[in-house]
Amino acid sequence: MIEFTLNGERVRTDDSADTPLLWVIRDTFKLKGSKFGCGAGLCGACTMHVDGRASRTCILPISAVAGKAITTIEGLGTPDNLHPVQESWVAHSVPQCGYCQSGQIMSASALLADNPSPSEAEVDSAMAGNICRCGCYPRIKAAILAAADSPVQQFDPQLDHPSQQETEASA
Amino acid sequence: MSTVDYSRRRFLRNSGIAGGGLLVGFSLTGCSTSAPPLKPLAGALAPNSFVQITPDNRILFYCPRDEMGQGVTTGLTTLVAEELDVNPAAIQIELAGPHPDYSNPAFGAQGTGGSTSMAAHYDQLRQVGADVRALILNAAAKDLAIDVAQLTTDNSFVIANGERHPYGKFVASAATLEVPVDTPVKPAAEFKYIGTEFPRLDGVIKSTGTATYGIDIDVPGMHYAVVARAPVAGSTVNTVDDTATRDMAGVIDVVPVATGIAVVAEKYWQAKKAAAVLDIKWDQPELAKVTSASLRADYTAGLNEEGESADEEGDAAAALANATHTIDSTYWAPHLAHAPMEPMSAVVHVRNGEADVWTGSQGPGAVQGLVARYAGLDVENVRSHQTYLGGAFGRRATLHHVIEATQVSMATGKPIHLLWSREDDIKNGVFRPASLMNIRAGVNANGKVDAWQAKRVGGNITPETLKNALPGFLPNMPEGVIDWVVGLSNSAFDGWVVDGSSVEGLFEDYDLPNREVTHVTQDHGLPLTFWRSVGHSYTAFAKEIAMDELALLADQDPVQFRINNLDNNPRLQNVVSVAQKAMAKMQPAEGRFLGFAAHGSFKSYVAEVAEVSIENGAVKVHNVLCVVDCGVAVNPDVIRSQMEGAVMYGLTAALHGNLDLDDGVIRQSNFHDYPILRMNEAPAVEVIIVESREAPTGVGEPGLPPIAPAVANAVFKATGQRLRSLPLRLA
Repeated sequence: MIEFTLNGERVRTDDSADTPLLWVIRDTFKLKGSKFGCGAGLCGACTMHVDGRASRTCILPISAVAGKAITTIEGLGTPDNLHPVQESWVAHSVPQCGYCQSGQIMSASALLADNPSPSEAEVDSAMAGNICRCGCYPRIKAAILAAADSPVQQFDPQLDHPSQQETEASA
Repeated sequence: MSTVDYSRRRFLRNSGIAGGGLLVGFSLTGCSTSAPPLKPLAGALAPNSFVQITPDNRILFYCPRDEMGQGVTTGLTTLVAEELDVNPAAIQIELAGPHPDYSNPAFGAQGTGGSTSMAAHYDQLRQVGADVRALILNAAAKDLAIDVAQLTTDNSFVIANGERHPYGKFVASAATLEVPVDTPVKPAAEFKYIGTEFPRLDGVIKSTGTATYGIDIDVPGMHYAVVARAPVAGSTVNTVDDTATRDMAGVIDVVPVATGIAVVAEKYWQAKKAAAVLDIKWDQPELAKVTSASLRADYTAGLNEEGESADEEGDAAAALANATHTIDSTYWAPHLAHAPMEPMSAVVHVRNGEADVWTGSQGPGAVQGLVARYAGLDVENVRSHQTYLGGAFGRRATLHHVIEATQVSMATGKPIHLLWSREDDIKNGVFRPASLMNIRAGVNANGKVDAWQAKRVGGNITPETLKNALPGFLPNMPEGVIDWVVGLSNSAFDGWVVDGSSVEGLFEDYDLPNREVTHVTQDHGLPLTFWRSVGHSYTAFAKEIAMDELALLADQDPVQFRINNLDNNPRLQNVVSVAQKAMAKMQPAEGRFLGFAAHGSFKSYVAEVAEVSIENGAVKVHNVLCVVDCGVAVNPDVIRSQMEGAVMYGLTAALHGNLDLDDGVIRQSNFHDYPILRMNEAPAVEVIIVESREAPTGVGEPGLPPIAPAVANAVFKATGQRLRSLPLRLA
């Protein structure tokens, strides 16, 4: 049994310890926003925040996240309450097929939490681990640079509430 | 202005798949039922298969084409919204399931591809919007007892004597009236939404992880299946030892399927681990003897064969003999995988004489037909639920994953979520054919390209595409007949006619008064299909480098040289002229060089300029200028994003894309050895859309063909090295 915090909620699972976090989130906790792209940590479609750091969860066994705080795209913002990075994504019409965008947005929000005013080169470097096959890169870059100018500088809302709710969900 | 007819290639000598579409000359409908597809919501008006209006003024549009990122939901919604007079952002978009009413007018079947959607639905869906608006106005006139001529509309409201009444107020009355037909549509000058800028309509769901793709489907009792596949395409199972697999946690069954052995488990990770320990012996086909080197040698030998004529005019041989300057150049493009970000997946549940299937495909009707065929059901008893597509680029018209999931569900009685790995996708998919192309061409003293002899050697996509499409589109056609048709197409293309998609783009753009285009088929058994821009993805590379070579021999500016040879193609000529002016303003920094290419495809016209430097021995692309004429620009921002995306997709092919064969096995397997362009390699792209009143044409594919030759032509300027092989590698 492994316990961790998922989008502010304490959860536990009896999935085998070597199961990658991505599959626990998708198949056990049924949050489908984080995507499977390569299974090898090469494309970034599975990116989530682990204690605020952008992490490739398709190769991250759940044994490595015991006790940690996981934020997924569902924990970042919702259609009715968009996170500033998501707002910028919508305004720039970034997505095409959209499949990689959860991972792109999780990488972008972790970057801005760490570095609120990145240079273009810093954006290139931070986002180089996320592949977009539709080639939305110019818009991703524009959306990140525009969000960096946003007055809202809280880029991981789940870390804003370190106390976390005590309700538990288990599966 | 007139347009060039891209079908001018000889009708009888060319057949098969034109422009990446489905099957020209066949009428294929995935479903024989003629019952209307829509079940109206409570109290709603559903006057046709495309629009519903509820009493509380919700307006739903059933989008007949599949959203793979190309913006078709935004585009087609805009057409209906324009004439219905509703803000597109207020319309609820539904993805249509299979029904003949949702056929693509370009194919006569329910398929999305070939950059056809906007062109094919432009008149139809505006007419739908106009007729429904007229129906609402007739109902309002009746209910309000006002002459219909006194009524107007504004964003889903009827305006009567200055008062606003929601459309929904009149739906009950409208349901009793006849639906008007042939209502006049607006002249372009009155467009309110067409041609304007607004955020794409799927932006919010795709920025919040709430858009549903095939991989996201999760139904009660669902189990996961992973297929162990043969290393060499076309192999069959000889023996299987599944003892270790059946002992593993979560595994409930091991099931043979058409393409290998499926392992079924409660969770994906369990199925994946268990499939890895299957011990399978395969019987291998002839392809197992083929390596990259042997394939290339066969293709090179093919250049010496006479081949089949694809196009002929004037006397190319005589013109070549009389030319002032000539080239004899050979160009290479390798096999490629599509690698959409979402690997292939499908959920299928077959039980009690009926079935459900969920997947994102380029043909929900074919999905329905495949499940019906393999489950032994009538199509009426198969519900095909379309999802968003996590990228396609031609890949999601081939549906082995649907067959596999159907077979596993039949064997287990459970709803089955079947998912391919990235390794499956790259090693076991269907591929863009490799091509070896030779161009012998000559320019005369006037700077006109007088002689053009072009030959392409490679595989054809139509036989494999028929083999994969017919079982789904014609679920009752016996296997034997399908094998016969596929066999017929195979032998036809080997020595009789030319598969149009094999040579498209090799000769149509320029004036070329004396030309001779031939084709030599080389088929090694690797499964082939259309890949974004199809034949144009390699023919433009050869043609546009050849034009650069000819211009330099004739001591002419390569851009002006193209303009001088486009007298019969005024729209492409204009696009090149617009690009020429914009290019003159580009001021490349020290060490950077500009390369140019232009190409017409899918009835659109594109010119691109690439600004390139050489950094640490590798090609770096800094900026790209793209000029496009695609007729009326329905959604300018979607057009820009498609041009940007096509440039990136084409740059991946130009700089990285390559598949090798070792004893019939694709050597590459994932993004470490089949790299995709990344953010740090992506150029800035400026898009200029030529203003046009011509009917809209394709935008998903036409931005791709010019980029590789534009970069190659810039590399020549930078280094003097004339690179004629993809991907581009400096000596």
